[in-house]
Formats: sequence, C-alpha cells, structure tokens
Amino acid sequence: MKSRLLLPLLFLGLSRVVADPLTYDTNPLGEVDRPLILRTYVPDPGLDPAVFAHHGKASKSPKYSPKTGRDTKGEYGMMRVIPAAIAVNHGPALSYVWDTTECRLLYAWQGGFLDLYPYWGIEGSGGRRSFDYGARLVGNLFYLAKPMKTETPKFLGYDLSEMGVPTFRYRLGDQEYAETILPVDGLYSFQRTVNGKATTLKGELLSEHQGFERNLKIKSATAEAGEQVFGAYGCVACHSIDGSQGHGPSLQGLAGSTRPVEGGDPVKADAAYLRESILSPNAKTAKGFPPGYMPPYQLSAQEVDSLVLYIQSLSK
Amino acid sequence: MKLALFCLLCAGPLSAAPYLVEDIKFPPGVPPEVGAIDFAPDGTLFVVLRRGDVMRATPKKDPGSWTWELFATGFHNGCGIDVISRDQVRVTQMADMTEATDTNGDGTADRYRVFASGWGLSGNYHETNALTEDGKGGYYLAVGTASHNGPTGEYTLGEYSKFGRRGRNFASVKWKGTTLHCDAEGNLTPFCFGFRMHNGIHLDSSGILWCGDNQGDWRATTPLYHLEKGNFYGHPSSLVWDERWPSDKDPLATYREDLDAYNKHRTMPAVQIPHQEMNRSAGEPYEIPAHFPHFPGQMLLPDNNSRRITRIMLEKVNGKFQGACTHFLNEGGLRSGNHRVRFSPDGQQLYVGQTVRGWGREAEGLQRITPTEKAEPFDITSFKITPKGFELTFTRELAGSLTESDLKFKSFTYQSRWTYGSPQENKKDHQVTAVKMTGSKSVEVTLDSLEAGRVYQLDLAKIKSKDGTNIQNVLFYYTANEVPGK
Repeated sequence: MKSRLLLPLLFLGLSRVVADPLTYDTNPLGEVDRPLILRTYVPDPGLDPAVFAHHGKASKSPKYSPKTGRDTKGEYGMMRVIPAAIAVNHGPALSYVWDTTECRLLYAWQGGFLDLYPYWGIEGSGGRRSFDYGARLVGNLFYLAKPMKTETPKFLGYDLSEMGVPTFRYRLGDQEYAETILPVDGLYSFQRTVNGKATTLKGELLSEHQGFERNLKIKSATAEAGEQVFGAYGCVACHSIDGSQGHGPSLQGLAGSTRPVEGGDPVKADAAYLRESILSPNAKTAKGFPPGYMPPYQLSAQEVDSLVLYIQSLSK
Repeated sequence: MKLALFCLLCAGPLSAAPYLVEDIKFPPGVPPEVGAIDFAPDGTLFVVLRRGDVMRATPKKDPGSWTWELFATGFHNGCGIDVISRDQVRVTQMADMTEATDTNGDGTADRYRVFASGWGLSGNYHETNALTEDGKGGYYLAVGTASHNGPTGEYTLGEYSKFGRRGRNFASVKWKGTTLHCDAEGNLTPFCFGFRMHNGIHLDSSGILWCGDNQGDWRATTPLYHLEKGNFYGHPSSLVWDERWPSDKDPLATYREDLDAYNKHRTMPAVQIPHQEMNRSAGEPYEIPAHFPHFPGQMLLPDNNSRRITRIMLEKVNGKFQGACTHFLNEGGLRSGNHRVRFSPDGQQLYVGQTVRGWGREAEGLQRITPTEKAEPFDITSFKITPKGFELTFTRELAGSLTESDLKFKSFTYQSRWTYGSPQENKKDHQVTAVKMTGSKSVEVTLDSLEAGRVYQLDLAKIKSKDGTNIQNVLFYYTANEVPGK
C-alpha cells in the first residue's frame, strides 16, 4: 500500500511539487494536502436509486450463446458501479466520489481509498475479474448522498489548485457552480465549499470496507470450485465453454481429446496436459492460435486442481 | 548512417534486418499500457497510459534514457490523444473527451475541461474510444462497443437500449459502435455506423478517413474500411442508435435471419486482411508520410494481437478504394499489442504504442522502428488489378524475368455473419495464363479468371533482385471488390 511519493523538483528556477505516476500498485493513495484523482468504475455502496435521477437504467438481459448466436438459458446481471464518476483521495484523511452525471458529491469515506485489483489485475498478467471488476472501497463509509431535485446538470470540468485540489465546475439549469471538498480534522467529517460558501458536513459510520478479497478459499478441489476460478480469473474472455470460437481454444470437449499443436505431434489432453496448459501455457500452442498469448497465472494448487476438474466436466 | 553501418558489419548487406526495433523505457514501476500517443508541434512525445496518467518526454536517441514527466492525471482508460501544444492535450477517455491545460507553466495540467461529451457509458470494460483530427479543428471519434465477456452497470451514462444490449459485442448505450464527427466546438453528430471495435481511426493526407476493426462477430476477417457519411459498416448492434433504423426492431436478430438484406445494407471493407496470416486485430491505420524512406503514401495497420504490422497498397477502381496487403514488419523484435502509430516529426522513425491489458498475455509498451538503410527492402511496392489479372511493381530490379511458376494465385470469398469470424469460402486455384515483364521492376500477370467480390492470394516464389537481395514478403492478398472494365 505504497502511497504516491512526492518529489520536489527544481525546474527552470521554479520550485514545484510533482506527484509520481501511477504504478502497478492496485491500492494507490494520495496525501492529505495533495489528493490523488482517479477516474474509474467506482462502486455504488448502496445509494438511494433516486440519487441516479439523470442516469439511464439498465436491465437484465438474456444470456447470449456465442455458439448458436441466440439467447440461451439465464440472464446477465448488472454490476453495481457508477460509470462516469471521479474518485478523490487525500490519504487516510478523506476519500470521496463526485459524479459528473449528477454533478454532485455521492459518498465519502475515511481510512483508505480504492482497491483496483479486480480491474487492473497484477503485473505480468493483468487479470480483470470478468463480471466483477468494479473497484472496491477501503475504509469506513460515513456519508451517502440523499435524493435531491435539481435542474438538469451539466459537467464542465475542474481546476486544480497548486497542490492538486480539484474545484469542480458545473451548471444546474442556467446557474453555474464551483465546488471544492477538503478534509478537516475530526472523524467522519469534511468541508464542502460551493460558490465560496463553506460548510462542514459530519456523517456517521455507515459501513466498513476492506477492499477486494483475493483468496477464493477453496476447501477441497472440485469442479464447482473450478467454475468459480474460471469466472474469477476471466478465462472466459478467451476460452468459451460451448464450443464457440474465441481468442483461445474452446474448453468444450477438450479434456480427453487429441489436440493438434503448432510445430509438434498431436497430444492427448489428459490431466497432465491441462495442468501444463494452465501453469506453462506457452509450452505448447494449440493449432491455429498465436504463440505466447496466454499469460501464466499464479494459482494455488487447489485452484489448478479445481480448474482441471472443471475442464474435465465440460467433456462429460 | 552509423546505424546502417552497424548492421552492415554485424549481419552483412544481404540479410540485414530492414528495421531496428527499440524499446522506449518508461520510469521503473510505471505500467506502460499505452492508450495512445501523439507529438506536440515542438517534437515532445505525449503518451496517455490506460490507468490515467499522461506522460511527456523529448525523444532521445538512446531509447533507455528518456526523461519522462507526468503532465496530467485522472483519465479513465484514455485511448485517444491529440496534443495541441506542449501545454495542452485532449484525451478521449471512457465517458468523454477532456482537454487538460497547463495554464501557469509549471509543467503539469491544472485546468481540465470537457471538450466533447454525449456518447454513453454502460459500465462495461470494453468501451474505449479513439480519435483522429478532421483537419478543421475538430475530430472523428471511433466509439467502441461493449463485450459480452463483461456486464453493464445498473445505472448508465445516457439512455439504455435493450436491443442494443443483445449479442456478443454490444451497443447498449448511445453511439457505441459508431463513428462520430466532433466539430471544433465539441458538438457531436453520428457520422457512420456498424463497427464492432474500431480501435483506431485515421484521416490521411488527402482527407480520406480510414479505420480497421477486429475479426469477430460480423467480421469475417480483419477489415480496413474507407469511411463515408451515413454508411453502415456491417456490425448490426450500433443500428439501434441510427435514427433511420426502426426502433421496434432488433438489428442483430433481423440480420442474423436475413443475410441478403444485411449484404444490401452494408458497405464492404476496402481491404479484407486474413486474420491468421496477416492481422488478427487491427489497431489504428496510419499513412506512411512522404519523408519516410520506405513505402511513402502506403498504409500501415498494426496488429493488436501479434508481433506484426500490415502494409496496405491501395488503389481506386471504378471509383472505390481497394487493394493488397502484406507484412510491413513481422517479428524482428516487435512486441504484440500494437495499436497506435505516430511518425517522428522528421518522418524518419515510427513509434508504435502497445497494449492488450486484460486481454491475453501482456504486451504493453512503446517501441521505435528505424529503417536500417534508406533503400527500400526488396518487395512488391505496387499491386494493381487489371481487367484480366494484376500488375506488380517491385522496389528493385529483378534478377531475371518471372515465369508462371513464380506466381501462384488462389482466390476465395468471405461472408460476415453472427459467428466469430468466417472461413475462407468458394476457394479456387488459378492458372496464370501469361506473365509479361513490363519493365525491369514490373510484371503483368494474366489469370484464367478474375471476378469481383473475391480475395486473391498470391504466393510468390523466393525470388531475388538483380543486386542479389532476397524478396522480403512472399504472401499477398488483394481484395477485388471491383474489377476494372466490368
């Protein structure tokens, strides 16, 4: 949980403070005086639906079979994320989400910022979580926006102070606003300044958040656990389970079959081959697919065992 | 000159690699996930990284010793950048196009303003956007679709369409899968429809607009499209955002069931590029500038999914663009993930931005490609259709006259449909009925038959030039949408 370091630089005789760029660290943090601004899919921690008055509303949708080109059993659910919000972090002192669609502060928390692990993945392989990639909160949520009738909002942009503090600029109807949010001393409070008028808002502990739970906690290797692993690591982005074509070979009927490989004799897809394909994906390349394309995943022994069982279950 | 000399010494003139490929390093620990690149008028190179940072550096000869500065931060998956000046950039991020300006000259942007907005955002991870300048202070924007390998959010930016949500790559919110025009004031209007994922768009020096796309659903293979106002380019989902499409009709189901109507409605690719053999997933097409020593005026198309860049030779036949493709560079130290292209201001070097984040094995970074000699590699530089065959022009004089056995032609067709890519169909082997040298570098080939609507594959023998150089490429594909004189 390394914070963004501050590097004082001398440049053409002007002293200035420049933040470091983002790194592979999936838990980036700003500083109390110098916030970090991040635009990403932030979670909806339980806002009243009426807060999203100026958003569109998605609905469940029939699942699509890429094999038949038609609807299949089941429905796609929706993820509880906010599409176009800005997340700001002042270190442990204050984090908040300000939305560019509603043009208002949506929620605030203290003690941490966002865990981007489900979206950014890890160095060397990425690994976005297929249907669950929204960033997770870290810290104590203490403020949630309430529904409020406003005229049509229009986001204009923001200005940064010398220390990088944003002042959001927007219109509600014809009226233009400038809004700045800052941490203050004290638990569960912050200062909000709108068009020069400052107020201190105080909330109360609403919920606690620890970021993303990285371990799947598999007790013993099963095909069912393997299905979870398959979903969690986003394998389906390349490997279908219904025989349809994709970036990698389909897993349907793969186990037990004889596989043509690039530059070698066909191999039998037994458990050892499946294991090798997961742990050292580039040892052999399935015929017709690009070499060196699949990343090696760092999986626990039980995750690998479960995946093998799951892939084998797709041949039954 | 030193560069060429170095290669001369190490490998000899006959087998020297035509290009030096160098890795441009970012500061340690910075994920080099290059969303887009562009030069400022003063030669500073700007890069928008997908986690949100915009970095800038003055290019240096030594690729490992650039001094990168953080210019701006806080963008969501920016995949298009236009650098107005060393102090101002415009970035297409997921939700909008934002202008970031350094107003006080301290080296970092302090004013962020929405330059253009109005397309939707569903919460899907796949909805990235790219830009090209329109030459009049505005832009053309390629607005990407969502993928069925990820969900939408519960609440969307802009209105939601249930028909747009159907299928593999989808357009559940406004203008996904379309190309927009953005005027100099930031006003958006749909320009054309029907894209799956046109990851990159390019206005060439003649003011002609191009984009590629990714082989997949409704994409038989990797296409290069010539974009014109109002057209439909074949991926149905975005039609829900076309006012001319009936609002009670599911475009995907309609065209799945009626390929004839689909084929009548759609505009074909100018060039169809076999995805396994040439290009699996097109990045940004880019015209080779006049000052680059090799193949000026031809089109490059980076492969986002292999270690190669395609070279496209275009011509106009019966008023429409079509042409041939082969490799510009295949391997040779190139990484995969290729999707953005810019030439250095002097036109002598080519920069390629790479990213595949979350899509297979990581292939992220920035590479620089420099020709090792001024002379073009021995290759076909012009591939033109004639009423009965093709006229090929080589970069160098040939060692001897070509014969029928040096030129093997096959042809096939493609039909895009809902499936993920389509096979090569109606395959035909051709007889070369005549070969006529029309100059020391050019040859006219007559085939037994030539038919509009087919892709012609040339397997060229491993011929030599008069100066003893081996031919660089032996595989070419010509898309004959039109045959002249017919």
